[in-house]
Amino acid sequence: MLAPYLVGLVGLVLLPAAVTLALAFTEYDLVNAPSWVGLDNLVALVDDPVFRVSLTNSLVFALVAVPLRLLLALGLALLLHRRAFGVGTARAAAVLPTAVPEIAYGLLWLWLFNPLYGPINQLLRVGGENGLTALGRTPPQWLTDPTDARAAIILMSVFTMGETFVVLLAARRALPRDVYEMAALEDATGWDVFRRVTLPLMAPVLALLAVRDAIASLHFSFVPAYVVTDGGPPPYATTYLSLFIYRTGFEYLRYGYAAAATLVMILLTVAAVVVQWRLVRRYRGFYGL
Amino acid sequence: MRPKTLLALLLSVTLLATACGTGSGSSKDESGPVQLLVFGAPEELAAYRTLTEAYEKARPGTDVQLVEASDRKDLLARLATSVAGGAPPDLFLMNYRFYGQFAAKNVVEPLDERIAGSDAIDPADYYPVAMDAFTWGGKQLCLPQNVSSLAVYYNRTLFTKYGVPEPKAGWTWNDMVGTAIAMTRDSRGVVVKGTESEGAAARPAVHGLGIEPSIIRVAPFVWSAGGEIVDNPDKPTRLTLDTPVAREALKNLVDLRQAYGVVPTDEEVEAEDDESRFANGRLAMLMSSRRSTTTFRSITDFEWDVAPLPVYQKQVGVLHSDAYCMTRGGKRKDAAWRFLEFAISEEGQRIIAATGRTVPSHIGVSQSPAFLGPSQPPRSAKVFLDTIPTVRALPTVSTWPEIEDVTAGILENALYRGDKLDDVIRDLDQQTRPLFARGEHG
Repeated sequence: MLAPYLVGLVGLVLLPAAVTLALAFTEYDLVNAPSWVGLDNLVALVDDPVFRVSLTNSLVFALVAVPLRLLLALGLALLLHRRAFGVGTARAAAVLPTAVPEIAYGLLWLWLFNPLYGPINQLLRVGGENGLTALGRTPPQWLTDPTDARAAIILMSVFTMGETFVVLLAARRALPRDVYEMAALEDATGWDVFRRVTLPLMAPVLALLAVRDAIASLHFSFVPAYVVTDGGPPPYATTYLSLFIYRTGFEYLRYGYAAAATLVMILLTVAAVVVQWRLVRRYRGFYGL
Repeated sequence: MRPKTLLALLLSVTLLATACGTGSGSSKDESGPVQLLVFGAPEELAAYRTLTEAYEKARPGTDVQLVEASDRKDLLARLATSVAGGAPPDLFLMNYRFYGQFAAKNVVEPLDERIAGSDAIDPADYYPVAMDAFTWGGKQLCLPQNVSSLAVYYNRTLFTKYGVPEPKAGWTWNDMVGTAIAMTRDSRGVVVKGTESEGAAARPAVHGLGIEPSIIRVAPFVWSAGGEIVDNPDKPTRLTLDTPVAREALKNLVDLRQAYGVVPTDEEVEAEDDESRFANGRLAMLMSSRRSTTTFRSITDFEWDVAPLPVYQKQVGVLHSDAYCMTRGGKRKDAAWRFLEFAISEEGQRIIAATGRTVPSHIGVSQSPAFLGPSQPPRSAKVFLDTIPTVRALPTVSTWPEIEDVTAGILENALYRGDKLDDVIRDLDQQTRPLFARGEHG
C-alpha cells in the first residue's frame, strides 16, 4: 500500500531534489542547457554579502523562533490538557492560525503590523499623545526598522505552532496518572513535578518536534518575508535563505547559483538535526531513559 | 499478484501518468487559446480584458486567455518557470527595463519578418524611442504598446484651496521644492515642516510630494542637470552617480525628506502607499508614469491633472514603455501574432488608450481624441506627448532587474534614514559593478 506514496515521494520530491543538488555545480539559467562549473557557485556564495546576510538571518530566526514556538506550545499543552470550562475554545483558538492559508495569514499580519493604522500599534498608542505610547516611546516600527521587522516575522511564526501544540497536548494526556499520584504522595511541588516527571516523559516528543521545527524553520520564514516585509527593510533585514534562493533562481534566472544555496541550506539542516539528536541522546542517557 | 499489490501498482502508474502527462499534453495542444501573461492593478487588468474581448468580438472564433501575475516579480518568475517547463505563454507584456534577461537567453521570438509581412503594422507609425528600446542585437524582439514618461500628478482642488500656483511646463527643481513646501499642511491647513521629530504635535495631514526612491526616478534629474547615470549607456560597466552633477541631483532628492520633509516618512509610506495617499487626498503631488491614470480616474472627491517634470538645465524624461513579446517556445505563434497585430494596430491602441492605461506608441492614436479627448482626466494629457521628444531610455542590460533591486534598497535608506551621501554613492557603485559585469547587452 506504500507504493503510491513511494512513487510520489521519489518522483516528485527526491528526484527533483537530487537534480537540483546536481545543478548546484552548474551554471543554469532555467532556459539554456546547464554547463558544469564545479565548485564555482559554492566559492561565489562565500563572497556574496547578500547570501551571508541571508544565512545569518536564517540561523538567528531558527535559534529564536524554534525554542519560542516549542515553549509556547508546551505551555499551552500543559495549561489546556485538563477538562475545564472554555478549554475546548482555547484549544481551538491555539490551533486556528495554523488552519489559515499562508498567504492570507501574511496579508492579515500586514494589516496588523500597519505602522499607523494597524490594530497592534493603535493599541500600543492608547494613553499616549501624538502617536507615542503611554510611556512616551515610539511604537515598534514593524515594517521599517530592521530589528522590529525581524521580531515581527518571529511573532508571526510563533502563532502557527498549532500542530506542535496538538502533538504535545496528546503526549501530555497520554502520560500515566499513577506517576503524578505518586508525586503528590511525595509532596512534590509543581516545579518538581514538571522538572522530574512531565519533562523527562515528554522529552522524546519534544525532541522530535524540535528537530521537525528546526527543519521547517528554514521554510516557514519564506511567506512572511515575501508577503509582509519583502525581505526588508533595506537592505536585507528579513531576507532569509529561502527568499534568497527564490529570488536568485526565479527572478534573476540564476538557478544553478540558487541550487548551490539550497545545498548549503540542506547541509545546515542536517547539521542542526545531528546536533539536536546528540543533545537528546545525552539527555536521555542522563535520565537513564 | 495479490489484489492489494495490484491496486497499489495501478495507483502508482496512474499517479505517474498524471504527473507526467499534464505538461506534455498541453504543450502539444496548438488549438487552445492564445495565452497572454500580464500583471497590473485591477484597473489595468480590466483594460487588458477590454482589449482581448474586443479582439475576440472583432475576430470571431479567436480566443485569448489573460494569465494574470500578481506583480512584476511574479510575472518574471512565472515566465522563467514556464519557459523552463517547456510550456511558456504565447505572449507576455513586459517593460523594456526587464526584458533584457529573456532577450539575452533567446526566449523572445524576433518579429522583423512578421512585421515586414504585415499589412496592419508599419514601424514608421510608432514612436522610434519606444521601438528602439525593444531592439536587441539589431532585431525587433517586441512591439511597444505605450510610450509613457514620468509626470507630476497634482491635486488641483487642493492647490486652489490653498491658493498655491499650479505646476507648469518649464518649472525648475527649486520651484517644485517651494511648491511642495507650500502644500505640506497639517489638519488645520497650516503649512508645517514635515521634518519634526516623531511625537511632534504638528504632523502633516497633507504631504507636498510623493516620489519613489529608485534609480528610475533619479535618472531624469541627473540627465536634466547634464550628468549621466552610467559610464556607457550602450555597454554600461558602472553607475556614475559620483560625478558632481549626479551627486547634486541625488542630494537634492534626498533633501526632499531629510531637509524639507515634504515627502512622507517610510513609516507613512508603508502604512499607505503614495498612489493611495494621492487618491485619498493626502498628497498634493505625485511623480508617476501614465500607469497611475487608470487608478486615479476612479477619484471622485477632487479634480486632478498632470504637469511635466521640473528641470535643472534641460527638459529630460525617462522612458516608460511596455511591449508585447512573443516567446520562442510558444505553441500558437501565428494566432499570437494575429492578436499582437491587433493590439498594436491603430484599432487596438484606440481601445486600450480609451481605458486610460497607455500613452499609445502609435503616433496617430496618441494625437487623436482617443487619447487627448477632454472627456476624462487628465485635462493636460498632452503633457505626456510633449515630453516624448525628450525621453531617454535606461540601459537594457540583462541584469537590470537586480540592479534596480539593489539600488532601491540603498536609495530608500538614503531618503528615509538619511544615510551619508558618500556612503550611499560608494555602495551604489560597489554593489552594482558585479551586476553590470555579469550582464549581457543587446
